[in-house]
Amino acid sequence: MSTEVEPKPVQRKPLEWFNLKGKRVGFWAYVVMRLSAAGLVLYLFLHLVILSQLAVGPAAWDNFVAIAKAPAFLLLDVVLIIGILAHGLNGIRLALIGFGIGVPRQKMMLWIGLVLTIVFSLLSALAIFAETK
Amino acid sequence: MVEKQLTRERSSSWSWILQAFTGVMLVVLLGLHMVVQHFVVKGGLRNYQQVAEYLSNPFVFLLEVAFLIIVTWHALLGVRAVLFDLGLKPATERNWTAALTVIGLIMIAYGIWLSVTIVSQGRV
Repeated sequence: MSTEVEPKPVQRKPLEWFNLKGKRVGFWAYVVMRLSAAGLVLYLFLHLVILSQLAVGPAAWDNFVAIAKAPAFLLLDVVLIIGILAHGLNGIRLALIGFGIGVPRQKMMLWIGLVLTIVFSLLSALAIFAETK
Repeated sequence: MVEKQLTRERSSSWSWILQAFTGVMLVVLLGLHMVVQHFVVKGGLRNYQQVAEYLSNPFVFLLEVAFLIIVTWHALLGVRAVLFDLGLKPATERNWTAALTVIGLIMIAYGIWLSVTIVSQGRV
C-alpha cells in the first residue's frame, strides 16, 4: 500500500505557537523560528529608524552611540545575537531539508544548531562585555 | 501508512523557495555586515566620521544596499507567511502581498536615501 499523499501545508495561527502539548522537538524548533523571526523583524524596523540619526548629523549619531554603550543596551545586543544564531542556524537546516539534503539527519542538525547557538552566543557575550572593561 | 504533515515552511511554493534562497544569502551578507561594522576598523565603527568614511567605499556601499534589499525581502516574506497562516480569503491575501510589497519598497528606498545622504554629508 503506497498511495502518494499530497502533503498539505499546516496552517497555524500565532496562538498555536504556544500550544506545546504533545508536540515533538521539531515543533519547538518551529516555535523558536517564529518567535525569533518576530523579534528580528521588530529589530530591523528599529535599526532602520535609529539609523535616521545619521542623517540628522554627527552630534545626533554620537549621542546614540553613547546610549548604545550602556551595559543594559549591550545585554540587548546579546539577545539579538542569540536570536540571529538560533534563526540562522535552524534556517540553514530547514533550507537543506527543504531541498532534500540530509533529511534522515535532520534531528542531529537541529542539535548541532542548538549547540552552535549556545557556544557562539557565549563567545559573543564575552567579546561584547570584554570591551566595556 | 505514515501520513506526512508538512508545515508551510516546507511546502514547495515559490515563496518558500524565495525564503530559503534569501535566507542563505543573508548568512553571507549578515556575516559580511557584522565583520565590516565591527572587525575591520579596530574596535568597530563608533563615531559618525567612521561610518561616513566606511560607507564611502563603493564595495561597502553596494554590500550594505544588497544586504538591505535581501533582509527586507526575507523579513516581509516571513511576515506574509505568518499572515497567510491565519487562513485568509484569497482576495485578502493578495491585498496583503501588495501592501507588504509597497512597505518593502519604501524600506529599501529609505535605506538607499539614507546611505547616499550619509556619504554626501561625510564628504563635506
